Amino acid sequence: MNPESLKYSDEHEWVGESNGVYVVGITDFAQEKLGDITYVELPAIGRKLARGEEAAIVESVKAASDVFAPVSGTVVEVNYTLENDPGLINRDPFGRGWIFKLKDINAAEYDELMTYIAYRAFCQGES
Amino acid sequence: MKYTPLYPVHEERGAKIVDFAGWALPLQFSGALAEHVQVRDRVGVFDCSHMGEFLVNGPRAIEALGSLTVADLPGLPPGRCRYTALLNETGGIIDDMVVLRLDETRLFVVTNAGPLDQVAEILTALPGVENLSDQTAKIDVQGPLSREVLLGLGCETIRSLAYWTGSETTCLGTACRVTRGGYTGELGYELFLPVDTAVRVWNRLLEDPRVAACGLAARDTLRVEMSYPLSGQDFGPDTTPLEAGMERFIHWDHVFPGRERMIRARDTGDYARLVPVVSLDRRSPRHGFDLQVGDRPVGVVTSGTYGPSLGTGVGLARVTPDVAISGTRLKAGPRSLELEVVAPPAYRKGTCRMNVMDKDAAP
Repeated sequence: MNPESLKYSDEHEWVGESNGVYVVGITDFAQEKLGDITYVELPAIGRKLARGEEAAIVESVKAASDVFAPVSGTVVEVNYTLENDPGLINRDPFGRGWIFKLKDINAAEYDELMTYIAYRAFCQGES
Repeated sequence: MKYTPLYPVHEERGAKIVDFAGWALPLQFSGALAEHVQVRDRVGVFDCSHMGEFLVNGPRAIEALGSLTVADLPGLPPGRCRYTALLNETGGIIDDMVVLRLDETRLFVVTNAGPLDQVAEILTALPGVENLSDQTAKIDVQGPLSREVLLGLGCETIRSLAYWTGSETTCLGTACRVTRGGYTGELGYELFLPVDTAVRVWNRLLEDPRVAACGLAARDTLRVEMSYPLSGQDFGPDTTPLEAGMERFIHWDHVFPGRERMIRARDTGDYARLVPVVSLDRRSPRHGFDLQVGDRPVGVVTSGTYGPSLGTGVGLARVTPDVAISGTRLKAGPRSLELEVVAPPAYRKGTCRMNVMDKDAAP
């Protein structure tokens, strides 16, 4: 996905919308910080997530990190490829390294997420 | 922050730099996993110039140092290396060290960066000990092809070096000391060089397409897979060598601090064990995870990471003696990660002990 058309949380998740389905992953900035990713624990399909809830776990050589739901919604699909190839998140964080997809999201929460430009400024403040 | 002579070169290469015991060192160059595989399959070079080096001159100094360690240093034959531990008054480990017997009268001692100030104070208080740390750069050349790479650069003296031996030599146009060892589990050599030659030697090594620069992250996954403990993390001043898995390095027939206490522990078997653990999938144990069998606390994870060559999590753990048995299952950490105790080393395919003379004989 084109990073410029995505929305961002302050926990470094991205959300991309296509046909009412919201794809979630972690950003290039986040994968760079984590280093080589070695394990991903995916959420169960059908799980209802509240905004900020722990949705997935990403482990790197260095540490384990939670991936939070950037908006409330229901998990409709997960990226099983990551179970055998977690490094996809390092290689293609905005594409084939997506983690899960949500439906029935909270639109107000989605609108509150950062734009690409706002997120870029946010990262500059963090590094 | 302290800088090694290779720091500018690392920066130029775009290494990710971290603070390790007050030193600015490369965490990774291309990536931890790629560098790990590089060392297991080909050759990686590591900048270990932050480590400490000492020269011990004369039988009195050798004897004096020996009495502070668990090793029989006066009995160490020339050309041989020994892994040992420097002890405090109660037999706790101040630091682990590698000692090379250069000749009848001199030892070369290699120590870690973390406790270096304390170690230097103790060692230089002995008669005839010189601290060479500031004038010595250390480059580790590690991997199954390391011997071919060094021979290709004309470093002939390494040809006949057996595992855990070393010598004083000239290599790549500079006087240096070489040991065949390292902390990765692969065939490898540690080069101790004058600081002003480090950049030239480092760059020469990297001209070989089989060689890549590697950082601390890969060094950690490599040593944890080999179940090698890290000073200050898997053991410290409150840990005896027995409790650090060093029993086979203890020479009992000499006087050293904490000896009586360690003999009692050895004979009763009542002491904590440092054991390798592996997870059953890709999840990693982490430093500080508590360990349980059923509801009973049995210890703590001291090192934990993902083991790229094992394909599972791997670590070291300090546990009660009753669970220090291969095959024992433990629950670790807040999410009850399942671990299994295994015999060291967790990774068994390393080439470090390879008989290189057989290699020459092969067609």
